[in-house]
Amino acid sequence: MSSEYQADKAGRKEERDAFKARIRDGLERKIERATKGDEVADTFQQLERLLVRIWWQFFDWLAVVPWGRLAIVSLLVMIATGVVSDRAAGPVVFLILMSFVIKIVAGGKVSADKVAAEATAKAETEQLERNVLEARLEALQAQIEPHFLFNTLASIDQLIQMDPPRASQMQQSLIRYLRSAMPKMREGRRPTLGQQVDLSSAYLEIMQVRMEERLQRSVNVPDGLRSAAFPSMMLQTLVENSIKHGLEPKSDGGQLAIAAEIRDGRLEVSVTDTGMGFAPKGVGGCGLANIRERLKVLYGKRAELIISVPASGGTRALIRVPYEVILDEPEPADLAPVSQTKTEPTINLDKPETV
Amino acid sequence: MNRTAAPTAVIADDERLMRQQIVMRLKEAWPELVIVGEATNGLEAVSLVRAQQPDIAFLDIRMPEMDGIQAARALGGQCHVVFVTAYDQYAVTAFEQGAIDYVLKPADPERLKRTCERLKERLDSKPDSSMDTLLEQLTQRLGSTAGAAVAKPREYLRWIQASVGNALRMIPTSDILFFRAEDKYTRVQTEDFEALIRKPIKELVDELDPEEFWQIHRAILVRVDAIEQVTRDFRGQQHVHMRGFDGGLEVSRSYNHLFKQM
Repeated sequence: MSSEYQADKAGRKEERDAFKARIRDGLERKIERATKGDEVADTFQQLERLLVRIWWQFFDWLAVVPWGRLAIVSLLVMIATGVVSDRAAGPVVFLILMSFVIKIVAGGKVSADKVAAEATAKAETEQLERNVLEARLEALQAQIEPHFLFNTLASIDQLIQMDPPRASQMQQSLIRYLRSAMPKMREGRRPTLGQQVDLSSAYLEIMQVRMEERLQRSVNVPDGLRSAAFPSMMLQTLVENSIKHGLEPKSDGGQLAIAAEIRDGRLEVSVTDTGMGFAPKGVGGCGLANIRERLKVLYGKRAELIISVPASGGTRALIRVPYEVILDEPEPADLAPVSQTKTEPTINLDKPETV
Repeated sequence: MNRTAAPTAVIADDERLMRQQIVMRLKEAWPELVIVGEATNGLEAVSLVRAQQPDIAFLDIRMPEMDGIQAARALGGQCHVVFVTAYDQYAVTAFEQGAIDYVLKPADPERLKRTCERLKERLDSKPDSSMDTLLEQLTQRLGSTAGAAVAKPREYLRWIQASVGNALRMIPTSDILFFRAEDKYTRVQTEDFEALIRKPIKELVDELDPEEFWQIHRAILVRVDAIEQVTRDFRGQQHVHMRGFDGGLEVSRSYNHLFKQM
C-alpha cells in the first residue's frame, strides 16, 4: 500500500513537473515572442521618426530653397529616375509636382518664419551689445568731478566753524548728490526724470552755497513729468557744463534754468544759462559727445541733443527723447497733465526699439 | 626790502567761504600777517597786488577771468606767491621744494604753519627768479584751460554756429556731412537738415581739423568718416557719395590723388 502510494506520489510529481515545465516553456516562448514583437515595433517607430524628420527637413529645405535650384534639382532627379527605371517615373513626377505645390503653399510662411527667427537672434545680440555699450558710456558719464568734491568738502569744513546748521544742510545735499551719482549705488531700474532732477537739484543747492549770489537757479519741471523715463546723468552733465564752462568762469555769474515739457509727444528737457557762451573750438564737448552717443545707442534716431545760443546770450542745451512713463513709479498718476494721457505709455520699457 | 612794517598779503578766490577760511587760518598760523585785500578773480588779484604792493599773494588756481597761474605769471615776481587749491590736478605739489608754495583746501593748520615759516624766511629776499620757469611748466600742465600764451596743440573748430529755422544752433562737426559754397553762403549739410553760414570754404579749410575734413573741390569740404564710396563715371570724373545723403559730390581733378587706389 505504502509502495503503491509512493509510486503514485512519484508519478504525480513527475506529472506535475512536466506540466510546470510545459507552462514555463510556453510562457518563455510567449515572452520571447512578445519581446521580438516589441523589437519590431521599436524599429518601426524609429524608422517612422526618421522618416518624419527627413520629411520635415525636406519640407524646410523646400520652403527656403530658391526656385531656380528647385527646378534644377527636379530635372536632375527626373533624369536619374529615367536612367534607373521607367516605372518609377510616374511617382517621381508626382512627387516633384507636389513639391512645387508645397513650396507655393507653405514656402512663404516657413521662409518668413526662418527670416524672423534669424532677425530675432540678431536683434537680441545687437540689444546685448547695445546694453554693454550703454553701460560703459554711462559709467564714463557718471564720473564725479574731484574738483567739485574737494571744494565742497572744504566749504563744509568752513561752514562747520561759522554756521553749523548750514554746514549740516550742505552735507545733506552732498550725500543726496553722491547717493544718486555714484555709479554703483544707482538702482538697476530705469531712471526717471524725477530722480535726475533731484540729483541736479542737490548739486545746484551745493553750488548755490558756494557761489552765493553769483548763481540764480530755477527748476521748472511739472510734477506729472517726474515719472517719465529719462537716461541717467545726462541732465547732470548739462548742468555741470553750464556751471563749469558758463557761470563759474564769469565774474558776475548768472542764471541757470532747468525745464521740462512735452512737445509733439516727446519729452524735452533743457538747461539754459546766461553764462560765457559756447566756445566753438576746444575739447569742452566731451560730455556732450557722450550724451549724443548714448542717445543714439538708446533711442536711435528718435532722440537728439541740440545746443543753441539763446537771443540773450549764454547757452541752451536741449535733450529730446521719446516720452515714456515708468509704470511702477509710486507717484500718483492723476497728477499727470492732459498731454500725458494722450500718449501711450510703452510697457516694454527695457528694450528700445531696434531701428 | 625794508622789513620794519608788518608783513602783508592779499587773497584771491572766487568763493567767499574759501577766502574766509584762508583768512581765519592765517590769523592762527601767522598772527602778524596783515591781509590788505581780497580779490574774486585773477584780474582783480593782479590789479590788487599792483595797488597794494603786498609781500605775499595767496591765489586760488581755478578762478574766473584769469586763473591763478596766469595771474602769478602776470605778476612776474612782484610778490611771493602761494597757490591754494582744493584738488591738486595741476600737480603743484611737484614744486613743493621750489620757489612756489602751495596749500591744499581746507588748509591743514600744521601744513599752513610750515608754509608761513618758509615765507618768513624768504620775505627779506626778492621773490625767486626761478619762479618764471616753474610757472611756465605749470601753465603747460594746465593744458586745455583757456587763454595761456604758451604754444599749445592747435585747436580746431569742433562746433559750427548756424541758423536753423529761427534758432541759432551749435552743430557738432561730427554731425556734418559736407560744406559746399553756394553763392554768398556756405551750405552746411547734416543727415537731418541743412543750414547756411557766412564763413567761406577758404576759412573753414584753415579752421577745421584736416584729419576730419578733406577738401575735394574748390567749393566742397567733406567729412572723411562720412564718405560711403567714391565712384568714377565714364569721363573719369570722380564722385564722392556721403552716408545718409543722396547724390554725389564732384571731385576736382587737382584733388583726384586723395582717392587713388591702394
